[in-house]
Amino acid sequence: MAEKYQLKKTEVWDGNMAAAHALRQAQVDVVAAYPITPSTPIVQNYAQFLADGYIDGEFVMVESEHSAMSACVGASAAGGRVATATSSQGYALMVEVLYQASGMRLPIVMTVVNRALASPLNIHGDHSDLYLGRDAGWIHLICNNPQEAYDLTLCAFKIAEDERVRLPVTTNQDGFLVSHTAQVVHPLDDDTAYKFIGDYKPLNPMLDTENPVTYGAQTEEEWHFEHKANQHKAIMDSFPVIEEVFQQFKDLTGREYKTIETYKMDDAEIALIVMGSTYETAMVAVDEARKKGIKVGVVMPRVFRPFPYNQLAEILKNVKAIATLDRSAPMGTTGALYNETAGALMANGQSAILTNYIYGLGGRDTTVEHLLQVIEETQQNAEAGKRVTPLQGFINLRGPKLSFN
Amino acid sequence: MATPKEMLTTWDKIQFGAVLPSFEDPKTKKRSKFHSYNYKVADWRVEKPVFNPDLCINCDFCWVWCPDSCILVEEVTTKRGKKQAKMVGIDYDHCKGCGVCVDVCPTPIKSLLMFPEHTPIEEALAQWPKKEDKKKD
Amino acid sequence: MKKITNLKEFACTPDRFLGGHRLCPGCAHSMIVREVVNATDDDLVVSTATGCLEVCSAIYPYTSWDVSWIHIGFENAAAAISGAEAMHKALKRKGKLYTDRPVKFVAFGGDGGTYDIGFQALSGATERGHDFLYVCLDNEGYMNTGGQRSSSTPIGAHTTTSPRGRVSYGEKQKKKDITMIMAAHGSPYVATACPSYWKDLAVKAQKALETEGPTFINALSPCTTEWKFKPEETVRIGELAVESCAFPLYEIENGTKLRITYRPKKKIPVKEYLGAQGRFSHLFKKGNEWILDLWQKQVDEYWDYLQRREECGV
Ligand code: SF4
Ligand code: SF4
Repeated sequence: MAEKYQLKKTEVWDGNMAAAHALRQAQVDVVAAYPITPSTPIVQNYAQFLADGYIDGEFVMVESEHSAMSACVGASAAGGRVATATSSQGYALMVEVLYQASGMRLPIVMTVVNRALASPLNIHGDHSDLYLGRDAGWIHLICNNPQEAYDLTLCAFKIAEDERVRLPVTTNQDGFLVSHTAQVVHPLDDDTAYKFIGDYKPLNPMLDTENPVTYGAQTEEEWHFEHKANQHKAIMDSFPVIEEVFQQFKDLTGREYKTIETYKMDDAEIALIVMGSTYETAMVAVDEARKKGIKVGVVMPRVFRPFPYNQLAEILKNVKAIATLDRSAPMGTTGALYNETAGALMANGQSAILTNYIYGLGGRDTTVEHLLQVIEETQQNAEAGKRVTPLQGFINLRGPKLSFN
Repeated sequence: MATPKEMLTTWDKIQFGAVLPSFEDPKTKKRSKFHSYNYKVADWRVEKPVFNPDLCINCDFCWVWCPDSCILVEEVTTKRGKKQAKMVGIDYDHCKGCGVCVDVCPTPIKSLLMFPEHTPIEEALAQWPKKEDKKKD
Repeated sequence: MKKITNLKEFACTPDRFLGGHRLCPGCAHSMIVREVVNATDDDLVVSTATGCLEVCSAIYPYTSWDVSWIHIGFENAAAAISGAEAMHKALKRKGKLYTDRPVKFVAFGGDGGTYDIGFQALSGATERGHDFLYVCLDNEGYMNTGGQRSSSTPIGAHTTTSPRGRVSYGEKQKKKDITMIMAAHGSPYVATACPSYWKDLAVKAQKALETEGPTFINALSPCTTEWKFKPEETVRIGELAVESCAFPLYEIENGTKLRITYRPKKKIPVKEYLGAQGRFSHLFKKGNEWILDLWQKQVDEYWDYLQRREECGV
């Protein structure tokens, strides 16, 4: 039996340590992983927990991320709790298998430390990897600080393994800004954390060899569409379960999570939409702008997939102008958050002046000042009653102003 | 045997995660409708192997090399108390007519021979080469 | 442990790989699979790389397997089985296994999924020491996609991506020696095998399954469709490969002890093996004699090398 880890009421953890402790407390049966910056410390911490006798499960140090996710799929289909961690290029290498994991309805949890994708190579935070996995059929949760990385990783197991869901889940945290920034975290003790998640509930385990099952059959044109539709419904239907798990977590800890987080949106006339740690910067910017009398709020989809589009539209009902901030180069169109927001508004017969900003690529700083500039431009649009600023702008980019209309 | 068409289902009734159970009842090893054992490949055949039990020496060569697991055997116990498999026939639902079994059959006059698919078994057996035919060539 | 003495007894094994699959008539893949899965009475968890075996044995809504089975992708059969094996270890340690019956882990991959795209995963899983048997179904090319070359395709073979042509004699490279590469991993047991020698293969499979740690068998799988021979000739083609020493049967323990497991009574010229297959027919045209000579030379040298190793006990 694994030793219990004596945690203090408050710990000072970075996002990687927080995620590693969550994996440990979940008593994961198999972790198969490959180190990659900036998520390497998750794997290292986990290895140390194992070396110190805090873990009963298997830790498989594979030879690539492709094999990491493949071993996770094999292990999960075998019938037990499975988790891994990765970033960036590693995530990209996994993509093929991410689709397999969700198609087989395997509740794998992956903590992703978001990082840019090469080329050119860059080890710092942006959301290129998260966006790459957008359509892979995983539930994606966004964490903005170490506490959230810890909390939501615990929640992730409960959501993934719920019999109404049975889908893989990622918890995302910004590379370095969250993963390597130590902050105060209030952990649960080991027993309480495990009890919250509960025992793994097997479904079609391969290791029940007396009742053999076949995973990964080929479904040609008479079958594939029905399977994919069924899978899509499962992820669409996961909203209430996610909300239920968040509620149970709140009951246990007092910490509240919503599928969409908002700050000062009640009376807002303009809104920023942003994901990741920049949400916290945006809150400060909103407070500053409000001092100048600008009625601005900020919105953050906590759950990126499934995308809470109707809820988003509801929140944006009364705003006149919106700036969507995407931390990934959309390469030839508007950013994902822009598109999701536009779709959400249109689908609900709403409209607002909508602009898109690309920011923070490869770990580029985005400060309160930068966001105040965005708020100001958005305010101009609101006041003019039409778009007077570019459709797509770039925040804190050196050189002549770059924009698209 | 449910045909693939009869197996078609709608998106809301489809197998979770496309996972297929081998058995309907694992205890009795009753194979499920998802087992290819319930799928016929007989129409792949142009010629079929016919088995002549009178010549067979139960070497089981055909059993080990049939790629479609369709040599039917029965477990028998010899006088010396050894268990052995006695060749009893061919599973024509799964035989593709490759002819491997005929090729590997070692009896001087083959105990398995290929015949056009529609030849009745009795007719095939009646046409079986005799020892004398063998001597002639 | 199951006793494998004679075929009459072996044939009493209830099959765990059943008919109704869509492999070509006369396909050696299923001969190999049956000789492997029937070699043990233990329960099995099997992973399979994308390839003929995979696409033909699990076409939804049917499976041909009476054992637990998973296919993920082309390159990760070894990684998948290593995950399943790790889960077994973890659940065993935690006392949470689903059954008390012994379970063994097997991965099947074609030569594409083994020599080429899946090699990294195989090398990794072997180095990590997982307890599994990897069986390569070596038909010397990407046959599932219509016969393209792989690094297992032997010199002179015609494939659709190394075609014979006005100025080409087909494949230019020598077949990669995967078994020796796996032996060099220090794997406790590796072997070559051919389904035409059923007992040699079944006994090797059993030995591999009984050996703790990562084991490997490279099984020659004569391919009627792409090697171009009649479906009923599969077993015979395998015999020609072995009797000519084009595909010698041997095993290596711990990477250091080689034993030849079958010695042809009279080594036949390799021409007889090559001549029986359409993929080599152009080698028998005027001007290509040198390739036949080269083939024979390479086969002789390799057979010599194996014998010398065996004699020296290395
Ligand atoms: S013809 Fe082929 S498939 Fe049919 S029984 Fe003989 S070996 Fe099996
Ligand atoms: S190979 Fe021929 S002799 Fe041997 S068991 Fe089959 S039919 Fe009988």
